[in-house]
Amino acid sequence: MIYVFALFLLTLLVITAVAIVRTENLFVAVMLTSIFSLLMAANFFILDAADVALTEAAVGAGVTTVIFLSALALTGDWEKPRPGGRTVALGTVGVLAMLLIYASFDKPRLGDPEAPVHQHVAPWYLEKTPEYMDIPNVVTAILSSFRGYDTLGEVFVVFAACIGVLFILGVKPARQTAAAPQPVSGLRHHLIPQVVGRLLVPFIVLFGLYVQFHGEYGPGGGFQAGAIIATGVILYALLEGEAEALRAVPRSVLLALVVGGALLYGAVGVVCMLKGGAFLDYSVLAADPVFGQQLGILVIEAGVGMAVCGALLSIFHAFAARESMT
Amino acid sequence: MYIVVSIAILVTMVLALVRALLGPTVYDRVLAVNVFGTKTVLLLSVIAFLYGRPDFLDLALAYALINVVGILAVLEFFQDRFRKQERVDSD
Repeated sequence: MIYVFALFLLTLLVITAVAIVRTENLFVAVMLTSIFSLLMAANFFILDAADVALTEAAVGAGVTTVIFLSALALTGDWEKPRPGGRTVALGTVGVLAMLLIYASFDKPRLGDPEAPVHQHVAPWYLEKTPEYMDIPNVVTAILSSFRGYDTLGEVFVVFAACIGVLFILGVKPARQTAAAPQPVSGLRHHLIPQVVGRLLVPFIVLFGLYVQFHGEYGPGGGFQAGAIIATGVILYALLEGEAEALRAVPRSVLLALVVGGALLYGAVGVVCMLKGGAFLDYSVLAADPVFGQQLGILVIEAGVGMAVCGALLSIFHAFAARESMT
Repeated sequence: MYIVVSIAILVTMVLALVRALLGPTVYDRVLAVNVFGTKTVLLLSVIAFLYGRPDFLDLALAYALINVVGILAVLEFFQDRFRKQERVDSD
């Protein structure tokens, strides 16, 4: 039954993807991308990948739509018609699709316990997580401890992406934007969004903190929590206007979050080395190695959350600042 | 029982998707996306019970909280565009 659901949702996914490519109205494309993201999350969920589904929910449904719309406000509504080059692109994509379909014949059946991926390191992770860390969510254990280097790399990628976007959009220093005339923005004059939104903001931030600190036990962790908290602040910005949100959480705080999050993660690794362990080997952090692992995971997840939240909000404000300049 | 409910929700999702694909006005599409989001929340909740893992309701909750922000962003986008248009017209 579940496979039927998954197949059905995947079919809808393909239809949506084709429609996104076909449409020339960029606003329609943004709306369809939002649906695409919802379908994707439902699919992840049905395939029992709750952590990924939560990430897709946190990033795809809220933040991405907002950032796409901010970008759309800077450009036009319609895609520019591009002459020629279509047949070459179609040929390349066609050949690649054929190759991928051919490769999929060798793929093991969905959910096959004999598949190579379930025979390699996965059993070891499942077996050793209770012994080394004693936390129920193996995904968090793998992401933040067993494969801590990868996650550190991802945090630096987020950091680099944030710096890149800020460079491209060329944010002016705070005093110059403050001097510029601020256009009236926000949904302040609409009663229903105002009242409901104000009620929602604290709950969204609280839920984000829950996802942050509950990551060892349920689906969630730093990435999802950072995105959810950023969504809460973005909601405040939508309601009260962007300037008001910058007053609540200034740009300097956001940059400190991005830099501080990445540094916190790296610093935990260095402290591990100073205490006589390997880089990012949390066992040496406390007298009891299991407690040391849990402590390390908690701290680096906090670093990830700070970096993601700061980066998403910086990008959002960079777009908004650019918008008010034009 | 849960399966019947899931199938009903899936059918509604298809209807919303059809509206989002066909349009014709942007408001049809905005509404379709909103309906689609709500249906996803419901589908996730029902499937969480179908799997016998109600702790996965966290996800549905996250969706319910976040989906509204996207829709508000769309509304503000149109409001700003309308204001800009007005300013251009009055100049």
